[in-house]
Amino acid sequence: MRSSKRSLAWLLAILVTVGLVAGACGKSSSDSTSGTTSASSKFDYKSISGTLNGSGATFPKAFYEETIAGFKKVASGVTVNYNAVGSGQGKKDLAAGTSDWAGSDSLVSDADKATFKGPFLYFPTVAAPITVSYNLSGVKSINLSATTLAKIFMGKVTTWNDPAIAADNSGVTLPSTKITVAVRSDGSGTTSNFSKFLLAADPTDFTIAAGDTVAWPAAQAGKGNAGVAQIIKDTPGAIGYVDLSDAKATGLSFASIMNKDGKFVAPTLAGATAALANATVKDDLTYSALNTVGAEAYPITAGTYVLVYVTPASNASAIKGWLTYLLTEGQNLAKDVDFAPLPTALRDKALAQITQIQG
Amino acid sequence: MTDLLSPDVERLLLDATTSRSRRVKNRLASIWMVGALLVALVPLALVIGYVLFKGIGQLSLAWFTEDLPTITRKAGGGMGPAIAGTLLITFVAALMAIPLGILGAIYLHEYGGKGRTARLIRFMADVMTGVPSIVMGLFVYTVWTLTFGLNGFGGSLALGCLMLPIIIRTTEEMLRLVPDELRQASYALGNRKWRTILTVVLPAAFGGITSGVMIAIARAAGETAPLVFTIGAARNLNLNIFDGPMTALSVQIFGNAQTPFEAAQARAWGAALTLVGIVFAMTILARVVSSRVARRHSA
Amino acid sequence: MTLLLSNDGVAPHGGGDASSLLEPTSGRRGDSAFKAVALIAGLAVLAILGLIAYSTTKEAWPAFKQEGLGFITSSTWIPAENKFGALAFIYGTVLSSLVALVLAVPVSLGIALYANEAAPRRLRKPVVYVMDLLAAIPSVVYGLWGIIVLAPAIQPVYKSISGAVGDIPVLGWFFNGESGRSYMTAGIILAIMITPIITSLSREVIATVPSAQREAAYGMGATRWEMIRAAVLPWSRGGIVGSVMLGLGRAMGETIAVALVIGSQAKITTHLFDAGDSMAAVIVNQFGEASGTHRAALIGLGVVLFGVTIIVNVSARGIVSRFDRRSQGA
Repeated sequence: MRSSKRSLAWLLAILVTVGLVAGACGKSSSDSTSGTTSASSKFDYKSISGTLNGSGATFPKAFYEETIAGFKKVASGVTVNYNAVGSGQGKKDLAAGTSDWAGSDSLVSDADKATFKGPFLYFPTVAAPITVSYNLSGVKSINLSATTLAKIFMGKVTTWNDPAIAADNSGVTLPSTKITVAVRSDGSGTTSNFSKFLLAADPTDFTIAAGDTVAWPAAQAGKGNAGVAQIIKDTPGAIGYVDLSDAKATGLSFASIMNKDGKFVAPTLAGATAALANATVKDDLTYSALNTVGAEAYPITAGTYVLVYVTPASNASAIKGWLTYLLTEGQNLAKDVDFAPLPTALRDKALAQITQIQG
Repeated sequence: MTDLLSPDVERLLLDATTSRSRRVKNRLASIWMVGALLVALVPLALVIGYVLFKGIGQLSLAWFTEDLPTITRKAGGGMGPAIAGTLLITFVAALMAIPLGILGAIYLHEYGGKGRTARLIRFMADVMTGVPSIVMGLFVYTVWTLTFGLNGFGGSLALGCLMLPIIIRTTEEMLRLVPDELRQASYALGNRKWRTILTVVLPAAFGGITSGVMIAIARAAGETAPLVFTIGAARNLNLNIFDGPMTALSVQIFGNAQTPFEAAQARAWGAALTLVGIVFAMTILARVVSSRVARRHSA
Repeated sequence: MTLLLSNDGVAPHGGGDASSLLEPTSGRRGDSAFKAVALIAGLAVLAILGLIAYSTTKEAWPAFKQEGLGFITSSTWIPAENKFGALAFIYGTVLSSLVALVLAVPVSLGIALYANEAAPRRLRKPVVYVMDLLAAIPSVVYGLWGIIVLAPAIQPVYKSISGAVGDIPVLGWFFNGESGRSYMTAGIILAIMITPIITSLSREVIATVPSAQREAAYGMGATRWEMIRAAVLPWSRGGIVGSVMLGLGRAMGETIAVALVIGSQAKITTHLFDAGDSMAAVIVNQFGEASGTHRAALIGLGVVLFGVTIIVNVSARGIVSRFDRRSQGA
C-alpha cells in the first residue's frame, strides 16, 4: 500500500517538480514515529490506531485543531481529521456514513434522524461566548442591550450615535459613523445561536425567523467566523457576531451584552462557564446556554457537540480514545484557544456516556 | 507615446493637408488605444506584484513537503497535500480529456467535415466551453459525489469536462493545418485512413495539439469552484484519488483568503504564487512549443 | 514535406504498413472501428451536455416544484422558512456582469485595435503575450487580491464618491453606498478577468479585415482613426459583438472571485457601492450547509445559470457565424 503510494508520488514528482511530493510522503511516515508522550488519563492511547474523519461546525474549529494536534502526540497511531464545513454538512456526512464523527452546534431535527444509519450520541465538548465585535476607532468598550442589538441587526439602528446605543452607553462619545452589519454568508450554528438569542431576548424587535441561515434585512456577509471577523476588521463602523476565539485572534473589540439579570457582561470564558452552569442539561446531554439567568452569565453562550454512532461502522476504540481525550486532557487546552471547558458535572456525564459506544 | 505607436501616425501628423480636427480625433483615438493597454497592465502588474512579494516568503522546502498545519491561524506547516492534489487531480483529468478530445477532433476534421453531426458536435463543443465551471461542479456532484462521496476523482471529472471542449476545438484547428498532401502520400503508400491519421496526421500536428492541451490543462489547474463540492478538504497527503477527501491549491487560496489572520493570508499568497507558477509555466511552455512548431513548419 | 515525415518519425512505420494491403478486410474493419470510436468521442460532448441538463434539473426539481415560477420572480430567499426566490441573485449576476462589460469593453477594444492597427510591429507580439498572461491567472488569485487588497483600499474611494454625488439625481442612483465588497468591486475584478477574453477574440476578428480595405482607406488620405472607423469597425462589428457576449457569458458564470468580493447580501439595488450577491456566489457560499429543498434550490440556481449562459453563448456564436458567412460572401 505504502510502496504503491510512494511510486505514485515519485511519478508525480518526476512529472512536474523535483522530489517534493515524495518528500511529503516520507515526512508523513516519519511523523508516526515521533511525538512526545504526556498522557494523564487512564486511557491507553498507545493501543489504538486508525484514521478518524470528522466534519462539521466551524465554531469549534480552533478547539478541534488544537486538540487534534495534542491528540497526535499521545496517540501517534491515530490520525484525526476535521473538516470545518458547517454543522449541517457535518451531520449530513455522519448520516451518510462518510465520516466517523461530526461536530455540530445544533441538534439533529426529528425529521433528519431517520436519515442516520442508527442511533447516535451527543457529546458536549466545549462552550464559548459568541462576541458582538465591532470596529469603531476610539471607542474601546461599548454596552449593548438585547433590544439595541436586535434593532441594529434588523437595520432599524443605522448609525453609531443613535439614541438607542447612546442610552446603553451614558458618558461615551459615539461617532456618527454608519453601521455595517456583518453576518455569515454560509449557514452556521453560530448564526443559529445568535439569532435564537435575539429571538429569545427581544421577540418584539427581532421579527424574522432564527436558524442556520437568517434573512438579515441589511448586512454584509462573510464565510465562516473568520470571514465575518475579516469584514469587521476591514470596515470602519462594522459590527458582527464572531466566536471569541476568532475575534481575539483577529484583535477585534467586543461589546458587553446585557444578560437576563440586567447586567452588562463582557464575553469571557468565565461568563460562558457561568452561563453553562445555569443551563438545564437534558438526558441526552444536550442543553441551551443562551440567555440563562445569573449575574455573571454571558447571555450569548453556545455549546457544541461531537456526534458519533452508538455502534460505529469502524474504529470504535479510536473513537472512544478521541472522545476521552477531548473530555480530559483536551479540556485543559480549551482556554488556550478561548473556549470554556465544560463544568465538571457535565464533563463526568459525558465521560460516562463513552461506555455506551459499542465495539 | 510616439514610441508606442507604429510610424504611420507621425507621417499623418506631419501632413499639413490633414485638418486640425481630424488630427485631434486621430490623436484622441491613439491615446485611447495606448491608454487601454496601460489600464490593463495596471491590474496585471499589481496582482503579479502582490502574489510575488507576499508569496515568496512562504516558499521553502517545508512548504512543498509538509502537511497543512492543524492550526490554521498560526504560522507553520506546508502546502504539500494541496500541491500534490492540484497536480494529481489535473493530471487524471487530462488523462481522461486528452484522448477523448483528440479523438473527437479527429472525428470532426477527418470524418465529419461539414456534415450535420460534425456541425452539431462542433457547435455544442463551443457551447460547452461557455458552461460555467460551478455548473460543472454541481453536475459532478449530482452524478458522482452523491454516490461515491468526496474524493479527488470527482474533481478530475469536473476538470476533465472543462478541458474537453477546449482540447477538441484547438486540436481540430491544428488538424486543419496539416497539409492534405501528407495524407495523400500516406494513402499512396497503401496506408488505411486510420493508420494515416495515427501515424502521419497526428504526429504532424503534435506540436500544435500539445500546446492546445497545455493551455487547457493550465486553465483547469487554476479552477476552484468545481473542486469545492467534489473533493472535500484534507490536511494530509492523500494520493489515492478514488478514496477520501483531497485538497488543492485553489481551494486553499479560497479558504485562506477569507480569514483575518496574517498567517492564513500569507499561506493564501504562497499558494497563489505556487499556483500561478504552475499555470504560467504551462502557458509559457505551450507558447514555446507552438512557436517552435510554427518555425519548423515555415522552414 | 519529407523533412516533416522524417522529423516526426513517421517514415519507419511506412514499411510495416505495406502489409495492410494484403489484409484489406481487417484494414477496412479497422477503419470503420476507428471512425466509430472517434464518433463516440465526439458524441461525448453531446452526452455530457445532455447529462448536465438532466441530472442537475432532476436534483433541483423539488425546489422548482415547490416554488414554481416564483423561483425566478420572487426575491425572498429564506432557507430557514423554506422560501427560495432567486430574483435578487439573478439581478446581482446581471448587474455585476454589466458593470464588468462597461469597464472591460472600451479597454479590450482599445487593446485589440492597438495590437492589430496601431502598435509598432515589434510590440504587437508582446502585447498579445501580456494578454495571454492576464488570461492565465486563475480567477481565485484575482479574488484573493480583490478581497485582501482591493476591497479595503477602495472603500474610502467609494465613500467619498457617494458623499460627493450621492444626492445628485441619476448619478446618485448608481454611485451610492460605501461597502468595500460590492457590485462595483465585483465588476472591477470581473472586468480584469474578461478583458483578455474579449481582447483576443476581437483581435482575431479584426485580423480578418482584408488589408486591401485598410490600404484603400489610407489611399484616400484617411488618418488611422478614420481608417479604423471606415474599414475596420464596420467589417468586424458582428464579430466584436459576439466576442463581447462571450465575455458576458464568462462574467456571469464566474464564481470564486465574485463570491470573495461581492459582499454576499441578497439585495436588489441600483447602488453600485452596495453589497450584493450573485447566483454562482450563493451556490458556493451556501452549498456546504444546505440540505433538502435548500440544496435543491441551490442546484436550481445552477440550472438557471446553465440556461442563461447557454442562451448567451448560443446567440454569441450565432452572431459570429452570421458575420462569418457575410464576410465570406463579401
